[in-house]
Amino acid sequence: MNSLTRGIRNTFRNSIRTVSIVLILGLSIGLSLSMLVARQAVENKISTVKSTIGTSITVSPAGARGFDGGGEPLTQADLDKAKSVAHVTSVSGTLQDRLSSDNTNLQSAIDPGTLGRRFGRSNSGFGAGGQAPNGGTFKLPVMLIGTDDPASAQVLSGSSVKLTSGTLYAAGSSDKVAVIGKELATKNNLSVGSTFTAYASTITVVGIYDAGNTFSNGTVVMPLKTVQTLSSQANAITSAIIKVDSIDTIDGAVNNLKTQLGSKADVVSQKDTATQALAPLQNIKNVSLFSLIGAMVAGAIIILLTMVMIVRERRREIGVLKAIGASNVKIMWQFMAEAVSFTVIGAVLGIAIGLAGGKPITNMLVTNSSNASSAVSQTAGPGQGPVTAQAGGGGLFRRAASNLNLKDVHAVISWHLLLYGFAAAVLIALVGSAVPSLLIAKIRPAEVMRTE
Amino acid sequence: MLEVKKVTKQFSSGSGDVTAVKDISLQIPAGKFASIIGKSGSGKSTLLSLLGALDKPTSGSIEVDGQDITRLGDRALNTYRGKQIGFVFQSYNLVPNLTALENVMLPLEFTRVARRERVGRAKSLLDQVGITGDKQQRKPSRLSGGEQQRVAIARALANQPKVILADEPTGNLDSQTGKMIFDLLHSLARSQNTTIVAVTHDLSIAGKTDMTFTLSDGKLVKQ
Ligand SMILES: Nc1ncnc2c1ncn2[C@@H]1O[C@H](COP(=O)(O)OP(=O)(O)OP(=O)(O)O)[C@@H](O)[C@H]1O
Ligand SMILES: [Mg+2]
Repeated sequence: MNSLTRGIRNTFRNSIRTVSIVLILGLSIGLSLSMLVARQAVENKISTVKSTIGTSITVSPAGARGFDGGGEPLTQADLDKAKSVAHVTSVSGTLQDRLSSDNTNLQSAIDPGTLGRRFGRSNSGFGAGGQAPNGGTFKLPVMLIGTDDPASAQVLSGSSVKLTSGTLYAAGSSDKVAVIGKELATKNNLSVGSTFTAYASTITVVGIYDAGNTFSNGTVVMPLKTVQTLSSQANAITSAIIKVDSIDTIDGAVNNLKTQLGSKADVVSQKDTATQALAPLQNIKNVSLFSLIGAMVAGAIIILLTMVMIVRERRREIGVLKAIGASNVKIMWQFMAEAVSFTVIGAVLGIAIGLAGGKPITNMLVTNSSNASSAVSQTAGPGQGPVTAQAGGGGLFRRAASNLNLKDVHAVISWHLLLYGFAAAVLIALVGSAVPSLLIAKIRPAEVMRTE
Repeated sequence: MLEVKKVTKQFSSGSGDVTAVKDISLQIPAGKFASIIGKSGSGKSTLLSLLGALDKPTSGSIEVDGQDITRLGDRALNTYRGKQIGFVFQSYNLVPNLTALENVMLPLEFTRVARRERVGRAKSLLDQVGITGDKQQRKPSRLSGGEQQRVAIARALANQPKVILADEPTGNLDSQTGKMIFDLLHSLARSQNTTIVAVTHDLSIAGKTDMTFTLSDGKLVKQ
């Protein structure tokens, strides 16, 4: 027997009290842990979003977005200028074009439907490949993207690009090859090694991808140079995605790009889109921090009040211990052991609660703010019509933002986190028992002489 | 030798100062059995707590074998209480969730007796006071008042103290049990040459002790 074992034994002296305190402590520790889990999950998501769309800048020819508007295309020389701007880590130019029945044998995988027909009617200039908008046989053209970065989710406006068969072509290639979306492949009975015609040339399919959405899966991706050459638009660029090294340097980079490219380009940072889209997550982060602090303070107060109550209840016993030679320190250790023991049992329960509740609570917090979140991602980015938006540079990002799926937050409960929570609980116990320890020191040993 | 010199103890409370012990001087030679009698509130418990260094006098000195215990520091006080003094209280004051044996082992722990020795010593002390067999493993609530007081005496004797201070040790017991407890204290003290100072209301008991002090309103009125 010593102070430690006496303290631990005292934990179970009053079973009703023990059960209720352990329950309350367990709930407070469990809630703290769940909040820690939620906070960490949301934080990871925020940094992922920041490092993907938050560091992107889109550059398009002034006055043009995809196939809307007009003006002059950018050139390879503009991209080289952009590359030399400080903090820019990569520049990926694309040339977009449309393949219609007069220059390809491909059939669009997308049914025009009401939206497509509306589009065809309002853009009479594009009627080249289609027939009368209301004629009933109207067909959408096939989207063609010339890029050196065929695997990029942003270029393809997909959440992720998976190659389902074949390979990608190399950057800088000028071969007559293409990687095509799986729905386009199905529609035209194409597989790796098959060929189709575009701009009167024979193009070989080298890969088929799945970008996770119908529009992107109906697209043809070819090397930038090949598209420039075949479509007689040498050096032309219709949009570029520029990456900077971090979200902190993006504003400076945007300004420098504007100066470098002058009035011929529209430079749009995606920082605001990212920040706006992330606002609900930032809120969750704050809410979880406050809840975490609240739950921990509540736990500390519970253990503090409990220990004050127990010390008062055992005044006489403390007096007896002092009268038979126990030092204050020894008695304090005994009560601290009791407090820590309460907390450890509470922490075991709390960890169980945290393990069971961490993910559901994270999901609940994220889902509850999802309305706000999706509203933001729908209005984010330069506004575009429903079809052209996906083709235009700004539209790519808009899709990228919504494709990041802000609801898709992964709660991970690591051992690291559990240990951290456990250590915090023990710390709460020590702090919570420090004040009662001072009360112990003040109890006069002569107290025992007083008859009850 | 226990020597009390001009000891006064004042308590200051909200309604003014109370002088519980007034200018008391007395001497108790080693190995003697002394009793303190007096009306309720006359200062008997207060005097006992001063002798046991549970409290410090407002003035005066208390010497135990020539050492003034009113000047001891915290650490020395713990040692004095643990090694030189054994307390027996009217309401037994055993720790309720410890067994009889564990209660007797407590003072041995506080004076750092080796763990292995504690059990043996505690058992033989309990045997001496007549708590034997499975009773040693019982918690106080499952022992009678007389048995609890025997355990308390065993605990008081654990470190072979020079002085045993007993505050109405028989106050909660019937007269026959009380007499047995008193005889037990007496015989143990005699065999170990321990000084005993006991507060009592029972004049028949007081009459059998070596010396009797009478207190009235905090003053020593008769020796
Ligand atoms: N801690 C204290 N604070 C204030 N007054 C006290 C304190 N302890 C004792 N007293 C007062 O000192 C006086 C003596 O008290 P004490 O307990 O020594 O009497 P007693 O002789 O032991 O009485 P009893 O026979 O009832 O036990 C009483 O008037 C009591 O109210
Ligand atoms: Mg008294």
